[in-house]
Order: sequence, then structure tokens, then C-alpha cells
Amino acid sequence: MSSNNRLEVDKKKGKKPLISRKEFLQIAGATGGATLITQLITSGPLSPEAIEGIGERTHPSAKGESKHTWCMGIDLSTCIGCQYCVWACQATNDVPGDEMRWNVGFPERTESGTDFFMTRPCLHCLEAPCVKVCPVGATWIRNDGIVTMDYDRCIGCRYCEVACPYDVRRFNWKASTQENPYHPTWGSPEVERRARGVVEKCTFCSHRIDRGLEQGLIPGVDREATPACVNICPVNARVFGDHNDPKSPISVFVRENETFLLREDFGTEPKVHYVRPEKEEV
Amino acid sequence: MARFDFSIPKEARQRAWWIWIGSLLILLAIGVIGAIRVFVLGLQVTGLSDQVPWGLWITQDLSAIATGAGAFTFSAVVYLFRMKKYQPIARAAVFVGFLGYSSAMLALALDIGRPDRFWHPLVFWNVHSVLWEITWCVILYSAVLVLEFLPIFFETKYFSRWPQLKTYGEILHKASPVFAGVGLALSLLHQSSLGATYGVLSGRAIWYSPSLPVMFILSAVAGGIAMTLLLTMIVEKLNNKQIISRQLQFDISRIAGFALLAYLYLKLWDWASTSYYSNSPGTTEALALLQSTTPYTQTFWWIEILLGGVIPAIILLSQQLRRNDRYTMLALGLIIVGVTINRWNVTLSGLIAPPHWSPGILGGVLSASYLPTWNEIIVSLGIIAYALLAFSFGVKYLPIYTPDEDPAH
Repeated sequence: MSSNNRLEVDKKKGKKPLISRKEFLQIAGATGGATLITQLITSGPLSPEAIEGIGERTHPSAKGESKHTWCMGIDLSTCIGCQYCVWACQATNDVPGDEMRWNVGFPERTESGTDFFMTRPCLHCLEAPCVKVCPVGATWIRNDGIVTMDYDRCIGCRYCEVACPYDVRRFNWKASTQENPYHPTWGSPEVERRARGVVEKCTFCSHRIDRGLEQGLIPGVDREATPACVNICPVNARVFGDHNDPKSPISVFVRENETFLLREDFGTEPKVHYVRPEKEEV
Repeated sequence: MARFDFSIPKEARQRAWWIWIGSLLILLAIGVIGAIRVFVLGLQVTGLSDQVPWGLWITQDLSAIATGAGAFTFSAVVYLFRMKKYQPIARAAVFVGFLGYSSAMLALALDIGRPDRFWHPLVFWNVHSVLWEITWCVILYSAVLVLEFLPIFFETKYFSRWPQLKTYGEILHKASPVFAGVGLALSLLHQSSLGATYGVLSGRAIWYSPSLPVMFILSAVAGGIAMTLLLTMIVEKLNNKQIISRQLQFDISRIAGFALLAYLYLKLWDWASTSYYSNSPGTTEALALLQSTTPYTQTFWWIEILLGGVIPAIILLSQQLRRNDRYTMLALGLIIVGVTINRWNVTLSGLIAPPHWSPGILGGVLSASYLPTWNEIIVSLGIIAYALLAFSFGVKYLPIYTPDEDPAH
């Protein structure tokens, strides 16, 4: 009321109102814009939480801290090149096609001429390029360090394949309908086969780890909770475990051997530790 | 010059038009068959693999967006920098831009494994991903292009039965500076991010470069201007009618020349600093691999640099050569070829020569290979046919080249 009265008085005196319509609109616009931007930055999609947590909204496994950091060790001086790990992976994760292998193996030779057999699962990089580039957050890194995928979210753009420098990722170019030739000799499928049009990758057999922990088992020690490729190895060239636990097989492996990571210069910080084919005693 | 529209009888012109439209329709139909095959059989019908997951369609997508960049360039020049003399070509630029972006989206819809999930980037956000940002920008920018173009539609006779639409069109047209500003911001973001798509990948030395995003946007400005002006000149020649003044044509050619020069300058330093004055093992290794298995080196120097860069820059920046329409059109065409070959070379180089990650000397992936299949090629041709068809009908039936007399100016 009072402001109305004042306006009327102002009009009578022929004075300008306290604030013109233009000024009012400018102030209102600036306030509104500032509020919107503040909202976006503090709690909206541009907030630190939203930016930090990729896919957090629907992927609780990426949230918070975990007691565990799952790592693998591969001793190239012990490996005999039997390829059991390759086939066990294909049976367990139901990868029937040989061109789709998650865990690859091939004959290799060192610069000094020593023949050896190279195998490579996903390296579950801490700074995984595939996680960074995925436009929909279909790939994320769990709080226990496993780089995993949501096959229902993947749009099949294959940017992750382009980004991964280790040739880890595989795309379903066609519907996979063939029978799995590695079943039952090398194991039985424990996860659902992926649909046409999505990318897939090694999971460190996360389904075994999650189920095992629920049952109070220790992944890397108890077979039911350990990746298939590690279990099948006849010469124990592969070890697995929690790097946070100093008594775990992987911690012992890294302590007792001189290990290296594949192409550390990429800055990807892989979690698979290798021992050179020509073993150097520490 | 002979006056074509008097020497060629009307019937002959009519026949030529229908032959042109008919052949494009046939190409489009073949492309649609190819697209149906992709949807039914999946991406196994392509020559792509896990080692080379991006190929012809991604190249087409990048090239279409780059040569559609005339839209944001001319909108910004006319409506933000208020250089009204470029107004006569602004509409054509927006139209060509829209055709470029819609072509790119068609190619992308086929290229992703799950087209039914195309909307996922809008709902599931990963702000770390340049591709996420690109998706948002391209969708928003396409909307801007539609809004910029709608008034042209509403001006046609067909829509005159709803006079209200024309009013809406005028309101939209009044908002042109706003669209130009938003469009400029969105374009600067995604045109360079398309280069960053490759430039941020530290694992692939031949890509990993801070200059790639800048080279992408500079080449897009040159390519976008070239595409808009070349199409305009072709329409002029076919109708034997001056659409834009000679002086304007020279001015635009010169801008394209300068954009090209800036692009070449950056490209020179990008090459010199990574391959000439220094030795980056990853880059050297990849280049050696490419040289031994592909014509990369030849296409880079002869097509990207000489044919697509130096020669058109000389033509467009020389006052004498620029006055010859044939030379100008040749130069504009060469820019487009150069930009397209550049997008192909950039995409394929990092994939064909992957980094060596095995600790031995034999194995891992040494070099991959890729050749587009016939299915990929007919789909690509079909998409080009769509763009040319839309352009032909647009020029014939829409007031694209009848510059509006803005009463305010």
C-alpha cells in the first residue's frame, strides 16, 4: 500500500518512480540468472559432486570408499603358454567367439631373444581412458578399483575402443547366437551374454568377488571368489587379491618380485602387475 | 559469357532438373536399402573392427559438421558483428549448415550400435567426456539452426494461409542476434571438441595434441565458408543469374583464404614441433607404421597440405586469380576435399597405427587395416543424396536466395 501511495505521490509531483521498468527488469534478470548459475554450480549438474561421480546416480558401487583394491599379477617367466586362462575366461564369461576374447594370449619374444607367452586381461586402470570418454557413463570405476560396464546403458558409440590404448574392449558387431565351444570343458557361463550393439570387457570376474565377499570368502585365496583365469592356471603364473591387504597374494607378489606395468608412460595407472620373462631375483 | 537460359529451351532445362532429381532419388533409395541392412544385420556389414571401430561414417559425420560451419560463421558476422554486407548469403549458410548437421546425425544414427538409445547422453551425464559435450552441443545447435531457418519456411506461399505463422517467423527473425550468439558459443565448443575427441587421448601419440581442437575449428571455418559459397556459385551459374554481388563474392573468398592460411600456419607448427624439431617416440613409431602400410604420408602432404591448403589459399588470396570464377570454384572445391581427407586421415591414423603395449617385439596389434564395405559406401552416398536433394528443392521452392529487405536497416 505504502509503495503504491508513494508512486502516486511521485506521479503527482511529476517525479520519476524510484525504479524504472527497465531497471527493474535488468535487476530481476541479473538476480534470476545469478540464482540459476549458483544453483547449477552448487547442487545442479555442474556441482563438484555431480562432476566427480560418473554415473553415480545409478551406480552405487562408485560411491564412497572401499576397503579393497583388487589387483592382478602375471608372472611371464612362469607362464608356459597353455592358454587355459584364455579359454577359462571365454567359458566363464560366455564369450564364444575367438575374435571377442577379453583375455588375450599370443606368443612373444623379448629384445634379447627369449621366447615367452604374453597374456593380457583388462588392466583396470585407475585413470582409465575408457571411463573418461564414455558419453553416457556406461563404463565406470567401482570404489574397489574394478572398471566395469552397464550393458543396458551403452549406446555402442565405441569411443571407449578408440580411447583404450591396450586393445581391451570388444564390440558386439553381430548377435552372438553360437554355442560356447569352451563350455563345459573350461567352465560354465556365470554371466549373461551381451546383446548386439554394445561394447563389453573383462570384469576381473566381479560377480565372483561380490558373491564371495557376501559369503565371507577372500578373493584371491578362496577359489569361488577368484577370477577364472587365475584359478585355472596350472603353474600359478597369475595371482589375484586385495592390494590394501599386505598378506594378500598380490601384495606378496609385488613385494617379492620386480614388477612392471604395461606402458606406464600412457599415464593410465594400470592395476595388473607383470614380472618380466627373464626373471630378476630381488 | 553465353546467356544460358535463352539458348537452352525451357523443356531441356526441365528435363535436366528431373534427371538430376531422379538420379539423387535413386541414390537415396539405394542408401535406404543399405541403412535397412545395417539395422537388420547390425554393424557386421561394415568393414569396421575392434581395432578400427571408426571409419567412413565418422569421417562423413566430421566432414559434414565441418562444412556446415558456414552457418555459425555467417550468422556471427552478420548478426553479432553487424557486417550487413554479408546478409545476402546468411540464409544459404544457415540452410547448408542445417543440411550438414542433419546429414551428420543420420550417419551417427547408423554408426552407433544401439540407435534406440540415442537419447541416453541427455539423461545419463558424464561431464568428463568430450563426446557427451559434443552430443549436447550438436543437439542444441541443430535446434538453433531450425529456429533460424523456420522464418524462411513461414515466408513461403504455402504458409501464407496461416498469417499468424508469419508473425511468429518475424519474432524469430528479430531474435536472430540471440541465435547467432548462442550458435557461436555452441559451435566454438563442439567444432573444437570434435578435434579434442582425438586430441585428449594420451595413449595414442599421433593424436595426443593440444593443437588438434584448434586445427579442427579453423579448418571448419574455411570449409564451411567454402561449402556455402561454392553451392551459391553453382546455383548462380546454373541459373545464369547473379545472386550475390561480385564484390561480396571476392570478400567472402578472401575470408576463406585467410581462415585457410591460419589453419595452415597452425598445421605447420604442429608438424614441425612434433616431427621436425623434436623426436617423440610414439609419433615417430606411428608415422613409420603408417608410411609402410598406408598412403597416409602422400595424402597428408599432397592432398591435405598442397591441394587442400596451399593452392586454394594462393587462389583465394590473389587478387587476379580470385577474379576468375573458375579458379575460385576450384579453390573452394579443393578446400572441401582437403577438409574431408583431413578428417579421414585424423580418424584413421590413430587407429591403423595403434600404440605398442606388449613388452615383446613380435606381438600385440602391430597395425590394423580398414576398407569400407559396399554397404558403408551406399549408405554414405545416400546421405549425400539426401543433402543434395534437400538443397535442390530448397533453392527451387524456398526464398533462400531472395535476401529479405530488413525494414529496420
